[in-house]
Amino acid sequence: MSLHHDQRVVEKDGIPKVSIAVLAIIAIFSIYIVGYDQGQLFSLVQGSEAYDTMWLHEFTHDIRHAAGFPCH
Amino acid sequence: MKSLTFIFVSLLSGVIAGVILAGVNYFVAEPFIDQAIGIEVDNSIASGEVVDFDELSSYRIWQKEGTFAAGAFLGLTYGAILGIVYVISRKYLPSSDDRKKALILAAIMCLSLYVVPFIKYPANPPAVGDPETIGLRDSLYTSYQLASGLIALGVSILMYKLRRIGYIKYVIPVIYLGLVASIYAIFPANPDEITAPMDLVNAFRAVTFGTMVMFYLVLGTLFGIMWNKFKPHETARIAA
Repeated sequence: MSLHHDQRVVEKDGIPKVSIAVLAIIAIFSIYIVGYDQGQLFSLVQGSEAYDTMWLHEFTHDIRHAAGFPCH
Repeated sequence: MKSLTFIFVSLLSGVIAGVILAGVNYFVAEPFIDQAIGIEVDNSIASGEVVDFDELSSYRIWQKEGTFAAGAFLGLTYGAILGIVYVISRKYLPSSDDRKKALILAAIMCLSLYVVPFIKYPANPPAVGDPETIGLRDSLYTSYQLASGLIALGVSILMYKLRRIGYIKYVIPVIYLGLVASIYAIFPANPDEITAPMDLVNAFRAVTFGTMVMFYLVLGTLFGIMWNKFKPHETARIAA
């Protein structure tokens, strides 16, 4: 007999609010990087030069096009 | 609920699906992107701009290698969204098998967050798009994704609430299509004229449509397998 037959599974219906908040923050941050940054994030440390070099934008350039996001 | 396991399953399935997407795109979509960038360069030269080919070459290496990390970030996004919606809607989804539930939800996400927006604002390769309109196009695409997602959510809730009415399964698709047609009619068109060859644009759209649908199906499959294996919804197993 399997061990599982002697066990009872306990489930609670509660929604894990903290986990959802963590995932939501990760989702917003990562979608911003992949789909929207045009130099703004690096401008925090690089200044206005970041809008010309757009390193993050270029880094995500190909997947941005392929995933359907507007790029440039 | 095992919170850390839930987060782990959501993010890991997303990252793996995203890296697989990037790997497939590397072989099937990159040739079209290279071709489109070649057209951009030709246009720049024709308009009298000086093109620095060394700089261009280093950018292309950065872009091509970056696509794997970017794919992982894309996967994090949709893995996290899938996890959030799954944990809220799990008990309402059809089937008793988490693998099937996850695949159904991923297919709904694919339809509402990718296919429906794609019909209005299809993907474009480089060489299409005026930098001056990027803010407007970003706003339109995001709003459209949001509107489409909310329609899918609203219709799903309506279907669940009215599930005891026998003919509701025939009415719901009509309501859904009506609402999707409404946003299609209300939202303005992409403001940019397409000047690149349509053969290239259409080939790029066909290929990336296929890889993005694949991405969602891989994401749903991996998420379901991992959920089924690690069972984040179980708080504990105790002796009977």
